[in-house]
Amino acid sequence: MIIKQRMAEERRKGLPPFSLFFQNKNFYKGIGLLAVFLLFLLPVLRLIWLSFVNEGSLTFGYYSEILREQATWATVRNTLVIVMGSTILALVLGVAFSWIVAYVQIRGKRAMQLFIFLPFIIPSYITTLAWTQFFGGAGPVAAILALLPGNLQVPNLYSIGGIILLLGLSHYPLVFLFTVNVFRKIPRDLEEAAATSGLSKKQTLRKVVLPLALPGIASGGLIAFLSNLDNFGIPAFLGTPSNIRVLSTYIYEQVVGFGPEAFSRAAVLSVMLGVIALFGTLLQWFLLRRSRVTETVRGDMSPRIFLKPVRQTLLEIGLWTFLLVTSLMPLVAMGALSLISAYGVPFEWGNLSLKNYEYVFFTDMKPLAALSNSLGLAIVTMAICLVLGTLFACLRFKFPGWSTKTAELFITIPYALPGTVFALCMIFMWMEPVPGWNPGIYGTALILFIAYATRFMVLQIRGSYTALLQIDPSMDEAARISGATGWVRWRKVLLPLLFPGILSGALLVFLMALTELTVSSLLWSSGTETVGVVIFGYEQAGYSTYSTAFSTVLVLGILLGGLLFMALGKLWDRKVLKAK
Amino acid sequence: MGQKGAEGEMIELVGVSKKYGSFTALHEVDLEIEQGEFIAILGPSGCGKTTLLKLLAGFMGPTDGFIVMDDSTVASAKRVTPPEKRNIGMVFQSFALWPHMTIADHIKFPLDHHPNRKKESRQEVQERMGEVLRLVGLDSFSDRYPSELSGGQKQRVALARAIAPKPNLMLMDEPFSALDVELRMEMRKEIQKLHRETGASIVFVTHDQGEALAIADRIVVMNQGRIEQIASPEMIYTRPETEFVATFVGKCNLVKGQWQDGSFIPKINPHCLWPDLGVAKTFKKNGIYPVRPEQLQLSMVALNGVHGRVTFVQYQGHEIHYTVEISGETWTVHESVYSPRFYVGDEVTVGLKKAVKPEKVLVSN
Repeated sequence: MIIKQRMAEERRKGLPPFSLFFQNKNFYKGIGLLAVFLLFLLPVLRLIWLSFVNEGSLTFGYYSEILREQATWATVRNTLVIVMGSTILALVLGVAFSWIVAYVQIRGKRAMQLFIFLPFIIPSYITTLAWTQFFGGAGPVAAILALLPGNLQVPNLYSIGGIILLLGLSHYPLVFLFTVNVFRKIPRDLEEAAATSGLSKKQTLRKVVLPLALPGIASGGLIAFLSNLDNFGIPAFLGTPSNIRVLSTYIYEQVVGFGPEAFSRAAVLSVMLGVIALFGTLLQWFLLRRSRVTETVRGDMSPRIFLKPVRQTLLEIGLWTFLLVTSLMPLVAMGALSLISAYGVPFEWGNLSLKNYEYVFFTDMKPLAALSNSLGLAIVTMAICLVLGTLFACLRFKFPGWSTKTAELFITIPYALPGTVFALCMIFMWMEPVPGWNPGIYGTALILFIAYATRFMVLQIRGSYTALLQIDPSMDEAARISGATGWVRWRKVLLPLLFPGILSGALLVFLMALTELTVSSLLWSSGTETVGVVIFGYEQAGYSTYSTAFSTVLVLGILLGGLLFMALGKLWDRKVLKAK
Repeated sequence: MGQKGAEGEMIELVGVSKKYGSFTALHEVDLEIEQGEFIAILGPSGCGKTTLLKLLAGFMGPTDGFIVMDDSTVASAKRVTPPEKRNIGMVFQSFALWPHMTIADHIKFPLDHHPNRKKESRQEVQERMGEVLRLVGLDSFSDRYPSELSGGQKQRVALARAIAPKPNLMLMDEPFSALDVELRMEMRKEIQKLHRETGASIVFVTHDQGEALAIADRIVVMNQGRIEQIASPEMIYTRPETEFVATFVGKCNLVKGQWQDGSFIPKINPHCLWPDLGVAKTFKKNGIYPVRPEQLQLSMVALNGVHGRVTFVQYQGHEIHYTVEISGETWTVHESVYSPRFYVGDEVTVGLKKAVKPEKVLVSN
């Protein structure tokens, strides 16, 4: 065993052909680690430092001040209630869907998965906007409720319940993503062994399947928990009008409210938010402490539970209704309502016009400028991450030692931090990179580029690294035996095989950067508004018809891009990989 | 057997060791490979045979010793010539075909890049491609992709890619392990044919002793990072020099006893006297007679001989495998289906078959 593992390492070392640059390994290792530390970890340390410092001396003053305030505890209570509730909702929905998709015989699973992922690629603030239209006075829900007998009220989304609902719906795809393959990988014979030992189907589920799926469920739960904690768009859109604050929006309010101690107070709140996130991670670790996983190597894609035709049809109808109502209908409602001429008028033929679109794209110059800002940001961020992230992934692959592991950990931190906290870190770091020297990065577009590249780097690294892991080392060895050197190996063998993995990482970075709201809402300055900032601005100013029009265009653009990507992927599979 | 030119050794390994930290995968291996020779490296998994192959390929360097190929040192502890600069071909365990290239691309690839074939005109490359494809019988498949081929066809592509640039040395890393039994037999012949036609030396790694015995000119038996014995298949099989070779290749029963004046007296029954049918010195020194299962025969209980009781019987079609328990020891006996049949529980006498002629003579060349 040991020898095999070591040989695998040795084989990896032969892979990327740029080994010449690494003659003096320790020197470059040191430089690289230092750079990663300065760019990725130091900002966080400076934030923590700042929460303890007042005019050059150490103090707990900010902590005692903030911890004494009623508002703080109300915010923490709200945060905990909302995060717990939405995590449970996301877990229940995600686990139920992944179990059904993995285990039960139903038709159209592929299409179903696409719909499950829809909330994942549409930014959550746009989803929220869509839901407020869906449940709004002129929306279809109100219209249906009005037809029904009794004086039924449309549920108020601007409440803790509404925030929990939207967070849960936005993040259950994450849980699904983490658990569906775990369910598929549970060996079928373990269940059969349980059945032959006399356990009923339900007992098997409880005693065999769920314990085995626990690692997936726990990590899905953790991701949902962290995402709920981190989310800014939903509580900002729904909570602010009704004075419901959570930590992420409270930090935002502190920073934009300025005031003499704004940054220090925000730093203290950020540390509190970080502590809560840490608790979630510890809880997951605690759950996984004793679990041992035996998985079949490949997922078992065929269903294990067959229902009677009638029941199957009923289940399918139920699932599709849920999916359409939660993911597509709100977007359709938003698109339709973006056509009405003024806020509050009923949805009738006579009231329809393209006036809102005209305003958004021709009268107000901001949306187009924001779109070009966001596109530029996304493209540049993608390019930076593509090059540096893939390079790092190669290093990580070639030298799987402690140094690259540590570096990866550092690089993960900016992505794992809640967006508001991260934005604050960026401000502290780049306002004065060296104390006493302000190069004017904060307040320009440059800080957004730095922030996005820092935050999304890890996504590209994961994508490229996974792609590297999936290539059998013998692919490269065969090329070397055939006499191919450095660049030829990359161009003819490695890159074509790595391409899909690297590309999907890059597209994820692009999408995240394009629709990002949280970080840019704190870092934007006049002239560098992003798409998210403009929609948020409209919403805060009460122009929801404009924000819906702009969002509709964005959703259509994202969907079109997604379809194009899928079509290209199919083509690639068929032409290049010959459908493996 | 199929030795072509007798130009002497082409590859030489001198005191080659490979360490991974404190673990030693290869202990001071010395080996000479002659031009055109077919060598099988045989051993259980983890014995160091794959490490040896990787060193020959140049994927890694030795921690000690050096490797000479065609009169130049290609590997030492300090300097390693990378695989792309060595005149070699290799067939991988799982074929290692590139999913995004057609069969023709696979064969063209080494023709474009291999150090042996670099300066060729386009026409020559085309001709060589056709030649190689015909040789492995894939000329009608040149536009297909690996995913459209069967296991045997993939194996042929892997072979074709390796031989295309006419390398001096072909390395094969358990190339049949991904094939089913029928196909293995066929591919054995295929590789023998290629060996005859190309005249390249072949180093073939396997853990299947039947495969090694069937195709190699010489077999290198390895265990725990050391070479146990290097010899022709017949010598390895009939005259093992170590206990490991005796049990791993010949499945020998190691009978304890005493050697006296060239005859053997088993400990179990001192009244027996077994003649020397070609036992190596090391065994004689240690008082062991390695007896292969087919060298033994069973008979009804007789006065003279070793007595035991049959505990298992496995009918194999062409022979019958008996397990016999003899005063606490377990012996394996392979008998022809034409000899008398015994059943579980039978009391039997186990004796040494009289060889028609001593195996010493048989393998003395």
